[in-house]
Amino acid sequence: MLQIFKKANYNIVDKRRLAFIVSVVVILAGVVSLFLQGLNFGIDFEGGAKMQIKFNTPVTAEELRAKFTVTDFGIPEIKSSGVNEYMITINASESVDTDEVLKSVLGTMDYTLLQVDKIGPKIGHEMRSNSFKAILIALILVLIYITVRFEFKFAVGAVIALAHDVLVTFAFFSFFQWEISMPVLAAFLTIVGYSLNDTIVVYDRIRENIKVHKGKPLKDVINLSINQSLSRTVITSLTTFMVVLILAIFGGQVLFGFSIAMVVGVIVGTYSSMFVAAPILIAWEHKFKEKEEKKA
Amino acid sequence: MKQNMEVRSGMSKNLIWRYLIIAVVLGWAIYSLIPTLQYERLSDKEKTALEEEGKLVDLESRIIKRGLDLQGGMHLILEVNVPQFVRKIADHQSRAYYDYMEKVDALYARDPEEDYLDMMLETANADSLRLSRYFPSEDRKTDNRSVVENLRKECEQAVVRAEEIIRNRIDQFGVAEPVIQLVGNKRIIVELAGIDDPQRAKDIIHNTALLEFVLLKDADYTQDIINRIDAAVKRITPGDISALDTAVVSNKKSSDKEISVSELLGLEEDGTASDSSVLVDENLALDKPFSALLRNLGWDIGVPAENYYAVNKILNDPEVVRILPNDLRILFSGKTQSMQTTEGKSVAFYTLYFVNREAGLTGEVVKEAKAELGSVSSEKMGQPIVNVRMDAEGTKTWARLTGANVDKRLAIVLDNKVQMAPRIENKIPNGRTLIEGFANLQEAQDIEIVLKAGALPAPIDIIEERTVGASLGADSVQRGVKSALIGLSLVALFIIIYYQGAGIIAIVTLILNIFFVLSILASLRATLTLPGIAGLVLTMGMAVDANVLIFERIREEYLKGKTVRSSVENGYSRALITIMDANLTTLITALVLWQYGSGPIRGFAVVLFWGIIFNFVSGYFISRTIFVSFTHGKKPLNKLSI
Repeated sequence: MLQIFKKANYNIVDKRRLAFIVSVVVILAGVVSLFLQGLNFGIDFEGGAKMQIKFNTPVTAEELRAKFTVTDFGIPEIKSSGVNEYMITINASESVDTDEVLKSVLGTMDYTLLQVDKIGPKIGHEMRSNSFKAILIALILVLIYITVRFEFKFAVGAVIALAHDVLVTFAFFSFFQWEISMPVLAAFLTIVGYSLNDTIVVYDRIRENIKVHKGKPLKDVINLSINQSLSRTVITSLTTFMVVLILAIFGGQVLFGFSIAMVVGVIVGTYSSMFVAAPILIAWEHKFKEKEEKKA
Repeated sequence: MKQNMEVRSGMSKNLIWRYLIIAVVLGWAIYSLIPTLQYERLSDKEKTALEEEGKLVDLESRIIKRGLDLQGGMHLILEVNVPQFVRKIADHQSRAYYDYMEKVDALYARDPEEDYLDMMLETANADSLRLSRYFPSEDRKTDNRSVVENLRKECEQAVVRAEEIIRNRIDQFGVAEPVIQLVGNKRIIVELAGIDDPQRAKDIIHNTALLEFVLLKDADYTQDIINRIDAAVKRITPGDISALDTAVVSNKKSSDKEISVSELLGLEEDGTASDSSVLVDENLALDKPFSALLRNLGWDIGVPAENYYAVNKILNDPEVVRILPNDLRILFSGKTQSMQTTEGKSVAFYTLYFVNREAGLTGEVVKEAKAELGSVSSEKMGQPIVNVRMDAEGTKTWARLTGANVDKRLAIVLDNKVQMAPRIENKIPNGRTLIEGFANLQEAQDIEIVLKAGALPAPIDIIEERTVGASLGADSVQRGVKSALIGLSLVALFIIIYYQGAGIIAIVTLILNIFFVLSILASLRATLTLPGIAGLVLTMGMAVDANVLIFERIREEYLKGKTVRSSVENGYSRALITIMDANLTTLITALVLWQYGSGPIRGFAVVLFWGIIFNFVSGYFISRTIFVSFTHGKKPLNKLSI
């Protein structure tokens, strides 16, 4: 029998203060970055146009940029996406007529349009509000589900862990200025689901162990539960991590945002289920006990 | 021990049922995937053969549909332009009306997500304006709310009609299996797979195709208007033309050819133009800033292509619009014409037309339209033209219109662009006319399509466009499949090394899971998108998780010293609750994504949803059955390979 952890008995719960500091530092760094450079909302949410163009004759990004300097469209973002292949992104508050851009800028060049995404600013904003609505609704539904299946304090722990995961992922996206597109948002929601998955597995063990080991301090029960589910947590995270990493590497540009969000989310989700969700139960218990003692 | 005996006998009976259920599910899955496998193996030749037999459509209806992002195609969301539509049906226009509409527009520009019609109502009520004065209503006393509700109804009807017309146009254009769908009450989604020329398809779909026959204003009247515009522009920007408008400045930068007017063949402006550039005449600019942008082309007023934006901007300036008479429209030609300079340089001109607001006749009367090249004997030899024949009503009006205006000029206007403006030589009694002014035959053919299908009842904007070239789509499929295969092999390798015999069961159920998801996609005629492939890859992760949870439990029990059989039994039953809780929360997110996601995201949600459902079927039920058949069979194992 191959085992990663033979008789796992790590004192994870007592590391919660260190974990707390790590989480707070990352989130604070994220908040600073959010203030300084914000999030890089893609055209899906801002409106604008994105064109992936393959040129049949060699051309450099500089040459393309030069062509735009003489027009009214402003200088777009031009990124290479392959041999003689470029992604041209025009962020616009007003609708851009991509046909006009192509005609007047690239008129005589020999090219093939691989992909065009053009989103009116109105529909972009609509999508943004819809998406945030979706995340919020998902969180609320999950909160209800866990309250029904477990106890309210578990639900609080799970949602704080979730908020933690989403915040940290946002922090990464702000820090590296990765573009937030529709698929990335789907990834955020998947992270919500995935992180919950991990948290619930640990909670399930805690619930079971509370019944089995009556009288044991909650802290020890929680530590035992985390240790018991440790190899499952690590193996599952490892396999999921493998598949999303492969998607990030081989999935191509379209899926890159999605995959990279998932890569970050898997790591953060695993961490939070052990170091955030479970310890919150202890913190809650402490609060609760103090109040009872005061009452007495 | 007694308990175990019970479990054993219970399970053995159960096993037969379990095998049966699995056989049925597998049978269904294979049956639903056969058409897809058949289709993928077909060569193009065989496809054509099947098409001739009429069997291809049937086969295609039973395969897994690829999303536009995988097969290439165009996705459009169209929305009725409410502000323009409202203007179109306004039946009385006055200064107060323009002020009012301008005010509503300003509000709308600030907050475009609000409802335009609601804004109209609020603004009218706030200014105590009677909307019944400007918009069709039963009588003058109709209250504002009813007028706006009436507008809303008209708007909704217009969208429904627009959908029909777009469907007609696409049918004539000839695209296989187009998706045309009304969303809400002012949007239409159009999805066209595998088209070669997205631009052309887009034009056909969203050109209003409003054909109008409009009389031109006479020359004196036109000159008077130009003078008035000159005065207005001077008022807005006294002195400095370069401050007038950025378009002039930026265009000036972009054009390094400064050709003097005197170089132009026979195109003398009035006296002062002797030493000016084509772009902007600096002398004239001070006195007549608008005229300075125009050129006299004999019969017509020319606008050098470089000045197009500047002229357009001036004509749309609210201050200028204010001084223009209500019964006037100023339109550009749809095409430029080139003029040779004495030095042999060619300069492109648009033509500016001053026409009546009211159309003498509109395209509704078109009964037949045919695009062709002008016949050899005619004046239009070799030129693309569209021959139009009108219905009885139209023929009468056309005869009266042409008869009463012989020697005057008449513009044939398509979507607010003048195609041609010939002089009426004779009364035309037979309801026929031809339209010229097309770049090529294809353009004329497209106009034929839209004229036949009819004009859109309301101006329509493309608010979202996603076009994927077929080559990129094929590339995406390849990348998706490659990622899935690499992912699968790595996961398989890892799990089999770690869990050995049990690992093989996990991988078998994992592959079955993917197989089932693909089967349900085929049976539901759902669409597989690139995010859907990502969902499939993620499903692998989830399926492995269910097995890991179970195996870890079994190991725990086994290490505690329990028998093989009871370890397996306990492992499965204890893990079930955890698997349920963990998967149901993901199911919730999948459902929320499906509800609120758009396009490709829904593809992801659908795959995730079914991935979770089949995770219970294969990751739990089938995996348990395989395991149990080993441990509870006739020769039960006494050692676990886990």
